[in-house]
Amino acid sequence: MFKAIEVLQPNFIQKPLNELWQLISPLYKADEESWLKELLPLAKPTETELASHTDAASKLIAEVRKDDDSMSMIDALLLEYSLDTKEGILLMCLAEALMRVPDKETADAFIKDRLSVADWASHAQNSDSFFVNASTWGLLLTGKIVTMDERQDGTPANLVNRMVNRVSEPVIRKAMNQAMKIMGHQFVLGRSIKEALSRGKSYRDKGYTYSFDMLGEAALTADDAQKYLRSYEQAVESVGKDTYNKGHRPTISIKLSALHPRYEVGNKERVMSELFDSVKGLIAKARALNVGITIDAEEADRLELSLHLFEKLYRDEVSQGWGLFGLVVQAYSKRALPVLAWLAALAKEQGDRIPVRLVKGAYWDSEIKLCQQRGIDGYPVYTRKEATDVSYLACAHFLLSEHTRANIFPQFASHNAHTIATISCLAKQLGAQNDEFEFQRLHGMGDALYNHLIKENDLCVRIYAPVGSHKDLLPYLVRRLLENGANSSFVHRLIDASYPIEDLVHHPVTTLESRQSLANPHINLPSKLFADRKNSFGPNIEIESDWRPFKAQIDTFMGQDTQWRAYPIVGGEKVETGQTHAIKSPYDHSQAVGEIDWADQTTVAKAIDLAQAAFPAWSARPASERADCLDKMADLMEENYPELMALCHREAGKTIQDSIDEVREAVDFCRYYAQQARSNFAEPHKYTDFLGQEKLAQLKGRGVFTCISPWNFPLAIFTGQVVAALVVGNTVVAKPAEQTSLIAVRAIELLHQAGVPGDVLHLLPGDGASVGAPLTNDKRIAGLAFTGSTGTAQLINRTLAARDVAPVPVIAETGGQNAMLIDSTSLPEQVVRDAVRSAFASAGQRCSALRVMFVQEDIADRVIPMIKGAMQEQSVGLPYLHSTDVGPVIDEKAQTMLLEHIEHMTKVGKLIAQTELPDLANKGTFVPPTAFEIDSIDQLTDEKFGPILHVVRYKARDLNKIIDTINQSGFGLTMGVHSRNETTCARIANRARVGNLYINRDQVGAVVGVQPFGGQGLSGTGPKAGGPHYLQRFATEQDL
Amino acid sequence: MTIVKPIQIQVAQAVLEKWDMLGVHGRAEKLLQSLYAFTAEQKQMATWQIENARKEIAETRIMPGPTGESNELSNQGRGAFLCYSEIASDKANVGLVGQVFTALIAGNPVITVGPEGQQIMDYIAPFVPEGVIQNIAESAKDSLIEADDLAGVAVLCEPAQAMVLNKTLAAKSGLICQLVAETESEKLSTIAKPHYILRFVTERTVSNNTTAIGGNATLLELGSMND
Repeated sequence: MFKAIEVLQPNFIQKPLNELWQLISPLYKADEESWLKELLPLAKPTETELASHTDAASKLIAEVRKDDDSMSMIDALLLEYSLDTKEGILLMCLAEALMRVPDKETADAFIKDRLSVADWASHAQNSDSFFVNASTWGLLLTGKIVTMDERQDGTPANLVNRMVNRVSEPVIRKAMNQAMKIMGHQFVLGRSIKEALSRGKSYRDKGYTYSFDMLGEAALTADDAQKYLRSYEQAVESVGKDTYNKGHRPTISIKLSALHPRYEVGNKERVMSELFDSVKGLIAKARALNVGITIDAEEADRLELSLHLFEKLYRDEVSQGWGLFGLVVQAYSKRALPVLAWLAALAKEQGDRIPVRLVKGAYWDSEIKLCQQRGIDGYPVYTRKEATDVSYLACAHFLLSEHTRANIFPQFASHNAHTIATISCLAKQLGAQNDEFEFQRLHGMGDALYNHLIKENDLCVRIYAPVGSHKDLLPYLVRRLLENGANSSFVHRLIDASYPIEDLVHHPVTTLESRQSLANPHINLPSKLFADRKNSFGPNIEIESDWRPFKAQIDTFMGQDTQWRAYPIVGGEKVETGQTHAIKSPYDHSQAVGEIDWADQTTVAKAIDLAQAAFPAWSARPASERADCLDKMADLMEENYPELMALCHREAGKTIQDSIDEVREAVDFCRYYAQQARSNFAEPHKYTDFLGQEKLAQLKGRGVFTCISPWNFPLAIFTGQVVAALVVGNTVVAKPAEQTSLIAVRAIELLHQAGVPGDVLHLLPGDGASVGAPLTNDKRIAGLAFTGSTGTAQLINRTLAARDVAPVPVIAETGGQNAMLIDSTSLPEQVVRDAVRSAFASAGQRCSALRVMFVQEDIADRVIPMIKGAMQEQSVGLPYLHSTDVGPVIDEKAQTMLLEHIEHMTKVGKLIAQTELPDLANKGTFVPPTAFEIDSIDQLTDEKFGPILHVVRYKARDLNKIIDTINQSGFGLTMGVHSRNETTCARIANRARVGNLYINRDQVGAVVGVQPFGGQGLSGTGPKAGGPHYLQRFATEQDL
Repeated sequence: MTIVKPIQIQVAQAVLEKWDMLGVHGRAEKLLQSLYAFTAEQKQMATWQIENARKEIAETRIMPGPTGESNELSNQGRGAFLCYSEIASDKANVGLVGQVFTALIAGNPVITVGPEGQQIMDYIAPFVPEGVIQNIAESAKDSLIEADDLAGVAVLCEPAQAMVLNKTLAAKSGLICQLVAETESEKLSTIAKPHYILRFVTERTVSNNTTAIGGNATLLELGSMND
C-alpha cells in the first residue's frame, strides 16, 4: 500500500507512469481501515482550518435557508416524499415505469398496485411547493378511488370522495401519466439540446453553464450503440452552434456503456478498437466545434478498462493539445487517489490539462451487493458515507495542490454545503484562483446553494443536465435516485429547516475518527455474509490485481503437459481395472485432459462391501467430527482452486466465471451442510408425541448411500450430494458422470485428505450399465441421491424398487421446462440482459436455464429485436478466455440432439436469431445459441438441455392461462418474472408450481443456503439442495 | 393414445391451489373444526399433526443473503395424496387419521379409500372446500395408484406390501410418486415424528431482486447507520 500523503509532494507525479499505474489496482479491495488511515491526513484540517471550514459551511447553509426560493421542485418533492417512506418509494417506482407501459390494461393495474397501498392523505398540503401539493392531491384522489374500489365501499365519506368516485380508470390513467410527465419535465432539462439550451438560458444568465448528458440505458445491441452515438453527435453539433456568448461553454458528458454493447473487461480488444473509434470520431467533431467532452464514470469493474481507453484516446492526436477531453472520478472508490495521481502524471507527460470531475459516486449499493454475491474478499468502495466524504476532501486536496492544478482542471460535483465550503476554503489556502477549478451540480438540485455561491464568488458552476425524452430518461434518473436518495443525504437535510445547522457541518474527518472503527461494522465483508459459516471466495476477473496472479496459477494446469491419470478409488486406494478411457476437451477434441479407468463389477462389489462394513463406526462418530471433515474439504478446495478451475475448463468446457461459481458452490455446500449437521445432528432432540409423552429422537445415517451426479455441475453437485450423505453418518458409493470423472476423482482425493476414511467413501467411475446398475440394484443400498434427466431418475427408481427390501429414500433433482414471464411494466434492457444470461450462460446446460420466454404482446416488438441484437453480441468460443460468453456443449450426443431440435424448430417456429460460431467450433462440440418464436409451450415436448430459447407472445388478459399451461407441463423447476407490478408478481408466485421463482432478475445461479434449489412434479422429489431440510432426507429419525 | 386422468385426481388438482393458498394456519382453522367426531386418540393424533405443522412448515423462512434482495423459503402441498390402511385395527385407524391430517395440513388434497376412508371424509368434508377430501371404493384404488399425476401415497401396511406398492409406483411414468409407508402400525413410529410432515410438502424459494427497481433501503440504512 502506497503512502497516500506522498501525492502532495510535487515530484510524485513525475514518477514513471507505469509505476503510478501499479498503485491503482491493488487498492481495489484494500483493507478499509488501513487505507483510510493513509488517507485521513490528506483530509484532516488543522484546528484553525476546521474552525474556518465550519464557519463557512454554517454561513452558507444559513444564507441558503433564508432564501424563500431555496427549494427546487425536485428538492421539495424529495423532502415531502422522502425515500425512506413507502409513499416515496411507490411514487418513484410509478415514475420509473408508468410511461413505458403501452397498454391500458397493464397501466391501470400498475397504477392500482402502486397507489392503493400507501397513505397519500398524510402528505396533503404538507409542502409549500405547488408542484408537490398538486402531485399529492392527484395521488390522494386517485389513491382514494382505488382504495374505495378495493373495499367496495358504496358510501363515500365526503364530497371529495363522492366526486372522485365518478372518475373512471381512463381518467386516472391520464392524470397519472400527466403527473409523470410533469415529473419528467422537472428531472429532464429538455427533450433536445435545442430545448435544453433554451430552457437553460435563465440559469446561464445567472452565471451557470452546462454539461449536457444524453443519459439512458447502456446499449445492449450494436443498433442501440449507433443510436446513442448519433444522439451524442447531434448534441455536440447543437452545442457547437450555441451562440450564447457569456461565460463558459457547455460541454457534453458521455457514457461509454451507451456507445458499445460490450463495454467490458472481457472484451478489451473490441473496446480498444471499436469503442475507441466511436469516441475518437466524437472527439474530433467536438474539438472542431470546441465542445468539451467528459467521460462519465460507471461501475468499479470497468474503472481500469476506462482508464486504458482514456489513455489511448488522450494520447491520440485527436485529443493532443486540446485540454477539453476529461473524465469523471468517483471518490467512493478506494482507487480514486492513485487514479488522480496517474491522470496528473499522464497530463504532465503530454503537456495538456485534463478536466476531471470529482463526484462521490452513484452506484454504491450495487457495488456492495455485487461483491457480496461474488464472494470478493473486500469492497471497492468505502462502507461509511463519511469515509467517502473524507476521500473526497483528500482527493480535492491533491487536485487543488499547485503541482496538480497545472495538469488537471478539477470540477467538484457536490450538493453538500460543507463539502462546497471546505473546498472553497481549501482552494484559497492552496492559492488556487477561481478560474483554476469549477463546481458542478445536478439539474434541479442544490439551486439555492449554488445561486448563493455564484452571487458571492466569481466561480464557474456547471449544471449536469439530462437531455432526452422524458419516457427514456425519467426511469433512469429515478433508479439512480432510488439507489442513492436516502433521507440521510445532505440534500434532504439541507432543505429541512427543522434539522439543526450545527449537525450539518460536522467535518467528515471528525465524524469518521469518532467512530469505533473506520469501516462500517454493519456492512459485513462478503466472507462474513453469513453469521454461522464462512462465505466462499471468488476472485474478481475484471480487476487486474485480483485476476492476473490467480490466472497465472490456473495456467500452470492448462498446458498439454498437464494431464490427469485417474482410477476408481475403493477403500482409499486406486484400483487399476484396465478399462481405460481417454478424456478430451469438449472445446477441442485434439486436446487430451487425461485418462481414467472405469470400475468393473468386482470393484463395485468391493466398494459396497467396504462401505457397508464401515457404516456402524462412521455413523457412531460425533456429527461435529464429520462436519469438521466438510469444513476441511471446503478449505482444501479453495487451496486447490486453480487446479479445480483448470479441470472445469478442460474437462467440462466451463467458462471462467462458471468455473469460479462451480468451485464456490461446492465450497458452500460443504460449509452449509457442516453447519446444518452441527445444529441438527449433534444432539438428540426432544419432542412430545401425540399422546403427550416426552420423547427423545436422534437423526441418524441410514447406511450405504449411492450418489449419482451429472456432468453439468461436476464438482458442485457431485460434492454436494456426497458430503450431505456423509455428514449425517452414511457411507457413500459415488458414480460421477462419465464425461467429468477426473474432477470427481480430485474431489474424492481431497475428501479423503480432509479426514473422511477410505472405507467410508468410494468413487466408481463408469457408465450406467456397468456401474450405475449395480449401485442401484444391490440390496444394501439404503438411499440414493441423483441429479440428471427425469427419464433416468424414473429408471433408477424402478431398479431400486425392484429389490426385495423396504423402500429407501430417493432424492432426485431432474429437468425443467423453465419459463420467464414478462409484462409491459418491466424494463426491456433488464429483461434482455437477464433472459440472455438465463438462456445461454453455461451454453444453456443448467437445470435452471430459461427455455421458454413469455413476452406480453404489447412490448414484444421492442423486446424481441433487442434479444436478437444482444445475441449477435454474444461470443461463442474457448471457455478459458475472458472474452467467451458461451462455451461448448458437453459431447457429440448432446450436440446432435440440440442441432436436430434447432433444425426441427426452424421448420415449425420462426427463427429470431442465431449467434455465429467461431472457426474453431468444428474442433469441438459447439452449438450456436439460437432463439425461436413459437406459438405455444405445447410445441415443446421435453427439455432441450442447451442454448436454445423459445419465445411466446401472450396477451395481458391471458396471464392466468399461461400460468396454467406452464403448470400443466408437469415440470416445476425455475421461473423468472419481470414486472414492476407487485400484485402481478405475487399472483404469479402464488400460482406457479415451481421450486425456484426469481423476480426481476435472472433465473440461474442459486446460492447455497440463500436460494435452496430444487423442483417439484417432474422436476424433482425435493427436499431442496442447499436448504434446511435436505440433510433430514438422508437420515432416519429414531426414538432413543 | 389418450391418457384419461381419473376424475378424483382432476378434482383434487382443481382444488389444490385454493387449499394450498390458505396456508397452514388457514387450513388448521378448518381442520380443527372437524375433530369433534373422531375418537379421543384419533383426535389427539390429528391435533398433534396440526400443531406440528404449525411448528415445522407454517412459517416462511427468510434466508440470509446479499443486501438488496429477499430470499424466502416456504412450503407447498405436493398434490393429490392417496391415504389408506391395509391394516384393520384401532391403532391403524389412528395412524390413518394421522396420515390424512398430515397430508391435508401440508396443503394436499386427499383421496381416502373404502369405509374407513369414507368415515374420515364424512367428518372432514363439511369444513373444507369441496374436493379437498374425496373417497373412493376399494375397487378403484388400483387404478388411482396407477394414475400418473398422483403426487403421493400414504399407507399403513406390512413391510412386504410396502415393497409391492413401491414397485407399482415406480413402474409408472410421470413424476416420482412419493410413498410414505408406515409399517409399524401398532407403534406408529414413523407417523408420529416431527419430521414426518416434510414428506408431504414441496419447498419453494422466491428470490426478489428489489435493487432492480431501486429502493435498496436496507443497505442505504446500514450505510448511514451510526455505531
